[in-house]
Amino acid sequence: MDMKGKRNSVSAGLLVLIILALSFPVLCQAGEVMYPTFSYNDQELAKVREWEKTWVGKKVTTATIDQVKDFLSEAVYKAMKDPKNFGADSLWFEVVPYQPYTVTKGMIEATKKYAPDSKIINQDVLDKFGDVAGIPFPQPKTGTEMAWNMDSNTRGDVHTCKNEGEVVDCRTRLERHAGHLRWDTFWMGRTDVAPIPKIPDERNNRGIFHSFFQRHIAPVDFVDTTMLEIRYKDFSREEDLWVYTAMFRRIRRYATSQRTDTIDGTDMIYDDHDGWYTSPTRNTYKAIGRADLLVSRHEDQKSLQRASGQGFWNGVKRERVNNWVVEVVSKDKDYIYSKQIWYLDPETWQMNFKIMYNRQGELWKTYEMFYDEYPTVQGQKAAYMSAEHTIDFIRHHGSPSQYTNHVIGGTVPLEQYQTSALKEKSY
Amino acid sequence: MKKKIFFGVIFILIAAGAVLPRQGFAFYLFGDKLRVKGSVYEFAIYGTNFDQSVKPAYRSTNLGLMKTKATLELLYKAVDNPCDTLNFFGFFKYYYEATPDIDDRYRKSIYKPALKNFKMCNYYPDEWINELYSDWYHGPWNIRAGKQIVFWSEVELIRTIDQVNQLDLRYSTPGIDPWDEIKMGLWMLRGFYNSQLPGQLVFEGMIIPDFRPVRTPIEGSFWGDPAGPPYKLQNKPHPPGQFAVVDEMWRASKPAVNLGHTSFAARIRGNSEVKFFTNTTYLLDWTLSYLYAPNNTPIARKKYLGSAASTNFNTDTMNGFMNANAFSRVLGGTQPTLPDHRFWDYRFMHFIGGSLQTFVPQLKGVVRGELLYEINHPEITADPGGTTPSYSKAITGNATRNIVNAGLTYDVPIKADWLRARSMQWLGANGVFDSSFGYFGQWRLGDVQNIRRTFGYQQKVQTGFTFTSRTGLNNNALTPVFRALYNTRKWGYTVVALAYSPGAHWRYETGYMWFFAHNVWDADTAHAKGKDNIYLKVGYEF
Repeated sequence: MDMKGKRNSVSAGLLVLIILALSFPVLCQAGEVMYPTFSYNDQELAKVREWEKTWVGKKVTTATIDQVKDFLSEAVYKAMKDPKNFGADSLWFEVVPYQPYTVTKGMIEATKKYAPDSKIINQDVLDKFGDVAGIPFPQPKTGTEMAWNMDSNTRGDVHTCKNEGEVVDCRTRLERHAGHLRWDTFWMGRTDVAPIPKIPDERNNRGIFHSFFQRHIAPVDFVDTTMLEIRYKDFSREEDLWVYTAMFRRIRRYATSQRTDTIDGTDMIYDDHDGWYTSPTRNTYKAIGRADLLVSRHEDQKSLQRASGQGFWNGVKRERVNNWVVEVVSKDKDYIYSKQIWYLDPETWQMNFKIMYNRQGELWKTYEMFYDEYPTVQGQKAAYMSAEHTIDFIRHHGSPSQYTNHVIGGTVPLEQYQTSALKEKSY
Repeated sequence: MKKKIFFGVIFILIAAGAVLPRQGFAFYLFGDKLRVKGSVYEFAIYGTNFDQSVKPAYRSTNLGLMKTKATLELLYKAVDNPCDTLNFFGFFKYYYEATPDIDDRYRKSIYKPALKNFKMCNYYPDEWINELYSDWYHGPWNIRAGKQIVFWSEVELIRTIDQVNQLDLRYSTPGIDPWDEIKMGLWMLRGFYNSQLPGQLVFEGMIIPDFRPVRTPIEGSFWGDPAGPPYKLQNKPHPPGQFAVVDEMWRASKPAVNLGHTSFAARIRGNSEVKFFTNTTYLLDWTLSYLYAPNNTPIARKKYLGSAASTNFNTDTMNGFMNANAFSRVLGGTQPTLPDHRFWDYRFMHFIGGSLQTFVPQLKGVVRGELLYEINHPEITADPGGTTPSYSKAITGNATRNIVNAGLTYDVPIKADWLRARSMQWLGANGVFDSSFGYFGQWRLGDVQNIRRTFGYQQKVQTGFTFTSRTGLNNNALTPVFRALYNTRKWGYTVVALAYSPGAHWRYETGYMWFFAHNVWDADTAHAKGKDNIYLKVGYEF
């Protein structure tokens, strides 16, 4: 080999070494988790911003709805095209700019720590469920992974708030007020409130995953009725539900097979709570893909308005978000919905809205959740519902409500989730 | 005049409801420290099955009730800090039963001394106070002092362990009026200790210097027995029958409120996980309770019992007084007046009970059970032979017996797919019938042949079944309810009702009650045979 040949060989060797050296961090990063995951990449965001130049600040009404039809779900479009069905002459919303969410530091750390080892076992079960935290699959590939992502959004771990709304018969314009105070705590999967990632087993010998306590403040016949629901880590175990009925002054156990009952006569069933309230293992999931739609993620309630007898909020602030879409079918063949379509937020994995189909496969209801970012006790920000509405397309019925008095990441004594509290918090 | 004042107050309450914040829930005053809620209800009963052969003597109309009732609930948060919470709770009621004003013959059927207490809320001076107590929380302690109503039962339609407060059954039956309005409050000191022991044990204790016996339907009223046969002379009230006189005697015999007549109660409530048979974990809510209190009906005082002979007319003795009363009723003579001494004595006894409830995944429902053992239940005795009805038999003395009571219910939501069909969705049905199947039993231990009881005379065992089912229509604005009770001695009742809650304030409920009985003396409920009725409740809640 001449000098030139030697030089070429050395150069080639060096080149390989350089390539390998440059590749090393990349190869290492392949095992790392990319989180937070934003709705758009730079190129997509540029296009969104361009579109926003035309639409931000604009009031989209029944008359102009067709111009943004591509960015609306079939349910919202249908409702807004026939506003009289929902007790209004015209329905409208305002377009606001897309704003990425600020994901809490704890959620980012937990996701980076636990997500690399996340996997689905036994077809639909999250491995090590209850012992891990954070979003398990930041780059999901299946509907089941998306469902577990939603289930892992603990919204600041501990919350209290007040929820008040109306049950509206849009045809007769009759309204019935309903409201409650609520407390809920994630005992496992915690990311922001110590102890993380779970309350130690010695303080949680029943294996509680999540507990929810509710005290009714309306309607007047239900004032002081309290409710306690416990969901367990063991997903094969039914949730436990107790209700203290002020009218009868009794703590009664309820069958959780009553989960398809409507909540206080609203258009929501118990399973609809927070989008989906029970274990993800109760359904089968099929990933549909992405849907760039106008949803409400920064709703401060200031412009929300509706006339008496109107079941659909006007004045909702909607921004474009590239939602994950999952088709959901219950494993219970007699389930009240033949299928649901969930639209999940790519940043927090909250459910932005869902569409429910009756057992004949017709569009029946939609449940839209409007969020805002609230400061947490830990000095972070967490997204939580600020308002919502569920509308029934067949009966022309609606259940708009608002959430106020949020305290996120605070302290709720665990004794609050004992049955004795049902009476203590009531009269 | 009192009625005008009463309706004036009701008008003010409705007007206040119209002026104050227009929301369908309680309103708050003094910076949210005082919560105010209340209601005004009109409750009417229309009898559909009067015995036409006797009706003309006792009734001008078919009305069984025309009761206007107002309630006011106040909750004042006096102290609320991390260490202590002190609340004051008051639940007040007032009512006016107008049927005696509307129906002249009805009015004359009711024994005059009982009429005033029946028409208005003044049986006792504090009758208008349903509950009034302070409620103090300090760490695991909770102390409640004042007039209170205690609810210990778990099962529907049947009261086994729930014996602390007795019922006022003069106007309706349980299930139609809310329990907290049909139960009579008692002045007491009640304490809870919420332990963190395994099973989340809650210890509860009560000291109750107050006692109010059960109030059964009064003679001459819709739910009571007919009054005595009418006098020949017109415009004169009917003479009192034996039941009216006994009611008066019992009322006069009620023990005074003092420490000497104090009842005691204790209960432990727990919440335990157990595994039965399979690996299924059951979370059991259980209670163990003990009550030392007077029986709700009294026994005769031997000292004033007198001879059981029908020739005894000594009105200082109970048997003599009853004979004299019967004599005066039949012959129209002067009715005897009660002597200064009591004829009856409310004797203390022991109640030991327990309850259990759990969700059973295999049954997809909740099973509840209750057991009550009554120790030394006071009884009165009578000669077991002869053909005289038990209630007419002369009392010969007193005795005690032990009684076992059991109740079991299975609550299950029954899905109704037909209600979820596309063609039925206009109904807004939740598609589920929340149903409860119940069983209850009673076993009177020992010899019952010589025990004198008005109802269930000489019967050792009672067995009954209950069924309740309700569903929601029009997003729960409409609630149809079906309730039935069947005793194996062939008595019982069924109720079909429909409640309507269209908006924030107005409430409507109507229903039909049908009673049946092979022998009306088998039970007080069997005695309601022939009192079938349509009822209507219209109310405004704020």
